[in-house]
Amino acid sequence: MRIVIAEDDPLLREGLALLLRAESLDVVATAGTADDALKAIDEHAPDVAILDVRMPPTHTDEGIVAAVEARRRHPDLAVLVLSAYVEQTFATELLTGGVRGLGYLLKERVGRVEEFLDALRRVAEGGTAIDPEVVAQLFTRSREDSRLERLSPREREVLALMAEGLGNTAIAERLVVTDGAVHKHIRSIFAKLDLSPADQVDRRVAAVLRYLDDIRRRG
Amino acid sequence: MPTHDTPRDTSGTRPSRDTPEARDEDRAHGGLPAYGRTREGVAAGSPGGAAAGGPGGSHRYTGPGGPGSTRGTPGSGGAAETGKAGGTGEAGEAAERDLRAVAARAAKDAARGLEQLTSGFGTAMMAGVVLLATAFTALACLVGVGLLFAPVVLRVLHALARRERDRLGRWGAEVIAPERPPTRLRLAVTDPTTRRELVWLVRHSTLGALLGLVAMLLMLFAVRDATFPLWWRLAPRDISSTSLGFGVAHSWADALSVALLAVGWIAIILGLVPGMARLQGEPGRRLLSAGPDADLSLRIAQLTATRAAALDAHATELRRIERSLHDGTQNRIVTVTVLLGAARRMVARDPAGAEELLERAQSAAEQALAELRTVARGILPPVLADRGLAGALDGLAASCPVPCRIDVDAPQRCAASVEATAYFVVAEALTNVAKHSGAHHAQVTVRTRDGRLWLRVTDDGHGGADEDGGSGLVGIRRRIAAHDGTLALASPRGGPTTLEVELPCGL
Repeated sequence: MRIVIAEDDPLLREGLALLLRAESLDVVATAGTADDALKAIDEHAPDVAILDVRMPPTHTDEGIVAAVEARRRHPDLAVLVLSAYVEQTFATELLTGGVRGLGYLLKERVGRVEEFLDALRRVAEGGTAIDPEVVAQLFTRSREDSRLERLSPREREVLALMAEGLGNTAIAERLVVTDGAVHKHIRSIFAKLDLSPADQVDRRVAAVLRYLDDIRRRG
Repeated sequence: MPTHDTPRDTSGTRPSRDTPEARDEDRAHGGLPAYGRTREGVAAGSPGGAAAGGPGGSHRYTGPGGPGSTRGTPGSGGAAETGKAGGTGEAGEAAERDLRAVAARAAKDAARGLEQLTSGFGTAMMAGVVLLATAFTALACLVGVGLLFAPVVLRVLHALARRERDRLGRWGAEVIAPERPPTRLRLAVTDPTTRRELVWLVRHSTLGALLGLVAMLLMLFAVRDATFPLWWRLAPRDISSTSLGFGVAHSWADALSVALLAVGWIAIILGLVPGMARLQGEPGRRLLSAGPDADLSLRIAQLTATRAAALDAHATELRRIERSLHDGTQNRIVTVTVLLGAARRMVARDPAGAEELLERAQSAAEQALAELRTVARGILPPVLADRGLAGALDGLAASCPVPCRIDVDAPQRCAASVEATAYFVVAEALTNVAKHSGAHHAQVTVRTRDGRLWLRVTDDGHGGADEDGGSGLVGIRRRIAAHDGTLALASPRGGPTTLEVELPCGL
């Protein structure tokens, strides 16, 4: 897996590169600004770009802008955006163009190396990785929705993991249940929420996120 | 009337001793409209924190309610008496210290009063000229010619009144200007502001001038008589030897008794001058300020604008703090978790590599702590809140290994974040002076004017300071830029080094 890292803090940038190289991943270039990151992506055509949201010069949303631009230039590029804090507008902005090969994670998730590598692989393979914090925020704001209340606690857990972008097997592993049980939960969820069941994970994530976002807006 | 509380802020840096008396006085001066306020202040015999308040020397404007104000005591005369009683009484060390403090305060009050009276004499002379011109124009109006000059004279009158308001504002509570008076004769005849300005003109050009003159003569007499023994032998015989104009000194004994007379003059100066200064300023404070019924909408507009600027400065500061937490400290801690995560993965297959990663993680954690400390201190150095900008800078100078003179003349208050920035500029500059310049002396000058804080740090070292060399200055420059300020560093080889900074007060 070929990776480009863009992060303005030199220590963190080196730390990330070190971590990924230790896992025998191929970090082909690192950059300190969004412009340099775009140049490196054009030059090296990596599989995944890991982008920090706040970079010079304004330290606001350079990473998001760069992510959108990079995807415009290279539609097949997988992008994992790292953020210092969860900002709903960033997530929405990022996900409007579809969730295929996209990730939005809090920076500190990197420390849980296994889960981080898992998310990175998922994104690189065209899947999705949404930070649990983002999903939790969507859930909090959707609490008033009566249809969500029809879900059992276990079904809510499954829904949250689906929204994070996990596949059936991964969900089963997390919840320590069988694949079949997860399958059953998902069918039940989709029925209760009036969503048409989708087999492909990314379409499923999109549907779930859209659903949560919709009720957030209405609320 | 909360809007009136603000003006007192502009007359000095924060009161360094917030005694209940000082607070009362502040209220008396800030809480009421200027007209009633001044009257009440004088009726109560309050030395008006304004006229007598604040210590002299380089930090003249500690402001109303500062250490210098002695409420209720008629200036320093009373203070000196208290001092004497203490000295003859227990004669303890504490009493002596008290006496010294009282004497120093009395001397400062008197020096301040003299300065104020002298500057008042200047405007009184101008008032005299304007009074003559006004009278002449009024007469000329009777034959018609004067009508041509009237607008000019009115404009000069208003300009002088404005100048006097500014001057009085420098010596105490701000004199709030009424709405801009008209310069057309027809309107001016019925305009109450113009009428009040004319009354002031008469009072100030007579009583004000007289008081100023007396003060200057007292000063002259004191100096003349005090130095008399030094030069009396050289003076022509027919010159009266005393300032009073009688008696001629023939012997050393006579000469020394003349010198004793100087003690009397100094006693009179200490006793009377602060009161005289108040008396001289009183007509201006009463007549030139907006009346109780005046339309204060202009003033309110001004205050609204300055309030917005203050909020801006505040937002800038919060943004800076948020940024240093998110982009600095948080990144450090994320680095720690990344390195720890990597170390955990490595510990089984490569213990030595894991150990190295843990070492790096620990030093990243230490950096995070150091940054957190810097951020916390950078929000507001505790000393600044306790002692104000002048006091905080004094502290910096005291801890600087290179002898350093601090000269702060900042009658205008600045937003706390701006004062903090000024403090850090000086701290960084003095650190550089001590570390790199090889200087023997440094000088820090701080002024406020036109809503801007201006500061300069100079040293007599060998120059050649490089902005890229020290990372401290880069941070300072960023901080100043955030406040829309400017920084200029001049440091030719061979010296001297001058650092100049200008910041909007944000108030």
